[in-house]
Amino acid sequence: MLSVKHLSKSYGNLVILKDISVEIGANEVVAVIGPSGSGKSTLLKCLNFLEPYDGGEVRFEGTLVGYREHSAGKHLAKEKVTNLLRARIGMVFQNFNLFPHMSVIENLLEGPVQVLGENRAEVEHRAQALLLKVGLQDKAHARPSTLSGGQQQRAAIARALAMRPRLMLFDEPTSALDPELVGEVLSIIAQLATEGMPMVIVTHEMSFAREVASRVIFMEGGEIVEEGPPEKIFRQPDNLRTQQFLSRVLH
Amino acid sequence: MSSYEWQFTILFQYWPIFLRGALTTLEITFAATALGLLIGLPVGVLRQARSRWVRLPVSVYVESIRATPALVQIVWIYYCFPILFGLQMSAEVTMIVALGIHTGAYVAEIVRAGINAVDRGQFAAAKSIGMSSLLALRRIILPQAGQKMIPPFINEFANIMKLSTLGSTIAVYELLQESNNLIATIYRPLEIYTFLALVFFLITYPWILLSQRFEARLQRRA
Ligand SMILES: Nc1ncnc2c1ncn2[C@@H]1O[C@H](COP(=O)(O)OP(=O)(O)O)[C@@H](O)[C@H]1O
Ligand SMILES: [Mg+2]
Repeated sequence: MLSVKHLSKSYGNLVILKDISVEIGANEVVAVIGPSGSGKSTLLKCLNFLEPYDGGEVRFEGTLVGYREHSAGKHLAKEKVTNLLRARIGMVFQNFNLFPHMSVIENLLEGPVQVLGENRAEVEHRAQALLLKVGLQDKAHARPSTLSGGQQQRAAIARALAMRPRLMLFDEPTSALDPELVGEVLSIIAQLATEGMPMVIVTHEMSFAREVASRVIFMEGGEIVEEGPPEKIFRQPDNLRTQQFLSRVLH
Repeated sequence: MSSYEWQFTILFQYWPIFLRGALTTLEITFAATALGLLIGLPVGVLRQARSRWVRLPVSVYVESIRATPALVQIVWIYYCFPILFGLQMSAEVTMIVALGIHTGAYVAEIVRAGINAVDRGQFAAAKSIGMSSLLALRRIILPQAGQKMIPPFINEFANIMKLSTLGSTIAVYELLQESNNLIATIYRPLEIYTFLALVFFLITYPWILLSQRFEARLQRRA
């Protein structure tokens, strides 16, 4: 599904990601944990080329992300090609980033209609079903600003799903939420996971990662320090840095 | 206090002159605004372009306009355009072109500020659903930036109205020029200039008020 090999990225001479390699299979749910500033968001953005990476490669379903295949040196892929790839990868942001000048349902229709050129009436059907799925059927015509944070994030998830993505990326989807609203968002993500949607989710919700993820990646200082099944990472991590991080966040 | 005897009543018989001047002023203002928007909207967008070869010429245009007085731009276009480009324009058209080019730079800055005021996350979200930069700009960024741009646009419009008086230096028959001519005939500079100021206040202030209204409304909604 997604293959990352020796990925690296710097801003100027500040190294953000160092030699990241990871494979994400179909139906896999990968949780990325780690202290703030460790490069988790940047890694996620490199996966759909919202941030260009410098070294290594990212492949989505075999296609090189962001750069041209078979070219000597490094050349950016055509914008169209990269856009098309992005259209197949859903992304959910910490701050929701719903389009405030559109109603909730228009947020869902925007991509399929404007980007994929799908028939509006058909998409509307699908969008209604998605809103039902995330429990926002009666908010279809509301403006995002009138919704609670939890509702906004559920709408943002529905917006990503409306594109019928083959992979979902979540960047701390519950970090901006009041504690009492975290559950409603996590339960939707958990449901998606059980339906077999492959996903990468950056999260500070350790119990959620433990229950839902098939694999956990611990990042620190722009590197993958340790990865493995959740039972392993949370019960008996090999690495001292992982142990220290977990003992800090779990107590 | 001097004991000047104001005689505003004699101005009444000359109302067609003021009307004619006002119409010319409005003509210049509307035409220059249209031209300014036509230039400024794309220039403001292009100032954000990724390629520096696009950014450079537009930046040179914007900065050189902002760093020179409008009056210098007007006389420069009036005297140099015919010689450099063989372009003969009437004084009024010169005024429209000059103020249009002048305003274009300020409109471009308004556009740029408007785009920058939109949350970065909006662009990321638009890209994440596969939008091209252009589509994101058109569907997501500009509609949000547009609202923020309306009050400064209205202010700019009021500015052009005031700047149109510079036309008198190249003998455009706008309000100031008509007033000067009238003074030469009836020797009533105090009345005429006072009245002129009042006329400008009356046609400019409503726009400033409107702009403030808009701004307050945007703030309430934010
Ligand atoms: N645009 C940028 N320019 C410079 N440094 C950045 C930029 N974005 C992120 N960084 C730096 O990259 C590092 C990793 O950031 P990030 O990926 O957001 O970490 P995380 O999501 O794990 O908190 C941080 O040190 C941050 O300051
Ligand atoms: Mg982050």
